[in-house]
Amino acid sequence: MKTISLYVDKGTMLNKIAPESKIWYVIAAITIPALMGTRWAGIVLIAVSAALLLYGKVLKRTLPLLAVSGFVLLTVLIIQGMFWWGNETPLFALGPAVFYREGVNYALGILINIINILMSFCVLILTTKPSDMMENFVRRGFSPRFGYVFISVFQIIPQMTETMSTITDAQRSRGMETEGSLAVRIKAFIPLIAPVIMSSLINTKERALALEVRGFNSRKKKTFLNDEVKTAGDRYIQIALPVLIIAAAVWRVTQWLA
Amino acid sequence: MAVIEIKDLHFSYTAEEEVIKGMNFTIDARSTAIIGQNGAGKTTFAKLLKGLLKPTKGEILLNGTSTKDMTVAMLAKQVGMVFQNPNDQIFKYQVLDEVLFGPLQIGMAKENARRKAEQALEAVGLTGLETTNPYDLGLSARKLVAVASILAMDTEVILFDEPTIAQDYAGKERLKEIVRQLRNQGKTVITITHDMNFVADAFERTIVFAGGKMIADDDTKSVFLQKDVLEKAYLEQPDVMKLCTELGWRESVLSIDEFVSAIQK
Repeated sequence: MKTISLYVDKGTMLNKIAPESKIWYVIAAITIPALMGTRWAGIVLIAVSAALLLYGKVLKRTLPLLAVSGFVLLTVLIIQGMFWWGNETPLFALGPAVFYREGVNYALGILINIINILMSFCVLILTTKPSDMMENFVRRGFSPRFGYVFISVFQIIPQMTETMSTITDAQRSRGMETEGSLAVRIKAFIPLIAPVIMSSLINTKERALALEVRGFNSRKKKTFLNDEVKTAGDRYIQIALPVLIIAAAVWRVTQWLA
Repeated sequence: MAVIEIKDLHFSYTAEEEVIKGMNFTIDARSTAIIGQNGAGKTTFAKLLKGLLKPTKGEILLNGTSTKDMTVAMLAKQVGMVFQNPNDQIFKYQVLDEVLFGPLQIGMAKENARRKAEQALEAVGLTGLETTNPYDLGLSARKLVAVASILAMDTEVILFDEPTIAQDYAGKERLKEIVRQLRNQGKTVITITHDMNFVADAFERTIVFAGGKMIADDDTKSVFLQKDVLEKAYLEQPDVMKLCTELGWRESVLSIDEFVSAIQK
């Protein structure tokens, strides 16, 4: 079965760093440029994320994700470049479409923010095993229910895709057309979706029972199969990044007061 | 009687690995069981026969026409397939409506479809439950609803994918009876199964798949006597045959009835 997790174990240091350290990195990458209010902070963090992804041997896997977002980014550039409320100075024209300096400038700010957020999240999701991350969260006191919901999504979605394909085969076997005009597709909707819903409900009930009989709701303190790994590097990261966030906030306040 | 010819059949889901690696055989009038370990290519073969997949090389001829040239909907009139999990197909609120779905889809006249549906429900022992919601039935009975929904389509060929899973003794006996009845009606009955006792009791011919190839094809008793073939395919003999071996009998039997007759002699 295919998995929807993007995690790849490349055996680099980035895979070994504790998930919390990478979560701190995401928080820092988002908040520092926002607090400082300067574009260069965002650009520096994009460069840092790119370097980390390159070191983690997953930079190539980031490109399709950026390409998917590319359409949204292009839309932002077009809309803001042409229609931003503060547009005054024409920058260039593509036929009848005129792009303005102010709008393009504003759009660039948005693009930097989005790329920065995307790349910092890539550092987290491409190098962190989802189950490890959840185990760490639960260890820190998060509800195991939340952890289960998060982890099960990675299995349930591919499972449902597979079920959907089997259901389509079963109904086509009984002579039902599933492809063709809109009318044909509408007619096929109920025979395809009803078994998916019923199967999901049955599976949910069975999963709930299977969890219950294995002590999921037990109030006893849970134990964990894997020991918590926290390197010296993690300790430094988890101190340095909050300090940087505070420093960015302080810098902004001093700028504001000056 | 449908004639199914499998000619140099190849199939792969990905470019790297072939799942079906060149099969040649003909399915004749005998009821046929296809056995083999998981991953041997049984379900893929069934999907190819049903037209849900198209061969990457070679072809399957159904009464002389290649399945490559037929859509799944066209094949639905000739080949019926009972899927492993009844929950994958049931969507109507009443058993009768569910059983009627297939016949009406293939354009059977309303009255005829109703008659066939009632006959199918009788064959699987669900008469009287026509208005029941299928999801109010147990898994075993729900599986029989799925069987009835294919029987009602009155196709020339009927494929059963793991029919005995989740069936109790009564359900298995009923399935054996259905196979015999279909065979007597001149239909081509094929099953894919891991249940060797079911194969021994209800099927005349057995084909063994291993690693995407056909490694044995003979009458059921002869196949189960080829221990090397069973070993290669990670299969075992039916219980009665194992008992004969344990008792040190020279002659082996396939069913309990044969076993009892042999003892009485």
